[in-house]
Amino acid sequence: MADDIIAIRSFVAAGVGGAEVADDQDIFAGGYVNSLFAVQLVMWLERQFGIFAQGTDLDLGNFLSVERICAFVAAKRAAADTAAVSSLR
Amino acid sequence: MPRRTIELKAPVPAELAPELSSKIFFVSEAITDFRLLFDGEAVAAVELEFSAGSSAESLAEQLHHVVEADILSQRSPAAKVLWEHPASAPVQEDVYRELLGRRIVAEVGEGQISLGSPLLELMDMLDERFAAIVRELGGRQRRYPTLIGTQTLHRCGYFSSFPQFVMFVTRLHTDSNEYRKFAEYAAGRESIGDGLAEHFGNADYCLPPTMCYHTFHEMEGTRLEGAGTVVSSRGKSFRHESRYHRTLERLWDFSIREIVFLGDREFVRSKRGELMNATMRLVESLDLPARLVVANDPFFGGPRTGEQIWSQRMLEMKYELRLDIEGGRDLAAGSFNLHETFFGDTFDITVESGENAYTGCVGFGLERFAYAFVCRHGIDPDKWPAEIYKSAS
Repeated sequence: MADDIIAIRSFVAAGVGGAEVADDQDIFAGGYVNSLFAVQLVMWLERQFGIFAQGTDLDLGNFLSVERICAFVAAKRAAADTAAVSSLR
Repeated sequence: MPRRTIELKAPVPAELAPELSSKIFFVSEAITDFRLLFDGEAVAAVELEFSAGSSAESLAEQLHHVVEADILSQRSPAAKVLWEHPASAPVQEDVYRELLGRRIVAEVGEGQISLGSPLLELMDMLDERFAAIVRELGGRQRRYPTLIGTQTLHRCGYFSSFPQFVMFVTRLHTDSNEYRKFAEYAAGRESIGDGLAEHFGNADYCLPPTMCYHTFHEMEGTRLEGAGTVVSSRGKSFRHESRYHRTLERLWDFSIREIVFLGDREFVRSKRGELMNATMRLVESLDLPARLVVANDPFFGGPRTGEQIWSQRMLEMKYELRLDIEGGRDLAAGSFNLHETFFGDTFDITVESGENAYTGCVGFGLERFAYAFVCRHGIDPDKWPAEIYKSAS
């Protein structure tokens, strides 16, 4: 998880053009990023963490800050693990 | 007419079925009717009816391409309702049939309807209410020519986002020999026929699909004063809706009241919010059953269609005001949109600081609004609520 947050911080920092943002700071409300970044972020998360976002996943609330993004990735992974365990039973 | 059932290569989830339905007539003009065939929760096949002489194989190929590129690339959007107004009474039925029967409306062409009293007065009264909201926002009015430059629409990205809707305007070559040849071609023909195209000159102009492109074009190179400005216009808009035209719900030729915001980010977002609030109050006062939902534009045919749709929804760049009408249906009578700095960048419109302006727009479909109103309150003006006659001073 520590590596995850470092990678996410780094992607977000590049997206906001080097501005300093706290882990709990809303990067969209601040106008730091645009919709193109939102698309790039979701695609990158999918590639980086092997997850797939659709339906209610695609709620901006999941991507507002570094903290929220980490929580989203963790929740998606936990859901995938649960599904994998269920399929083994 | 021949029919053929096309098995889809991959099933289309039920939540994307309306999207699929909304694109099938754009697959090809040869398609005259269709039916989605479900297998459980997903669309497994489409039954097409098509004109004789068309190749079922090439229609199938085109359908597969559209399903893959424009439908399955979408990501099953979650519905999100922001606000709802349950009216005090349900909508009425057989309203459109009565409008036709009393010659208040007449179908004069594909998606083209002529309108008379009392719908005309109703549309004007509704428009006056929107204009009053514009005045409260400190906006100014403009009236634009109908024709819009093809290059303007191109710069607005219209052709790569909504090619299915484009309606070009053309004319004959400016050449006396051509005029003569064309006059000879036309003379004595009962039907003008398909040979017209070879006489056409250019397509420098289009019919406008909405009003805001006129506003951005007119304001090219402008440096805005203060936090921003509000510009509003009313005009006829045109979209080729293929065989999807229906009653007053979906026309090829319709009227829009549009309000454009240009300024800094906060100005544009807050103006959109103020306009949404004012609209919700208006809808409540007219007692129209309604809801405000997160929506997306009908992007089609571009390489990024799916992405454009899900990102637009995720960032809530578009809200739609949906009003109930007869037949258990509803329609989008208004939309509230943000564009980030796309039009500021494209048309070099800047704010005082020199940065490119953010923009947003709100559009109301006047025929749709009026139709939803008569579905709720009936056609007889004597029975309309007093609120609609209130002077919008």
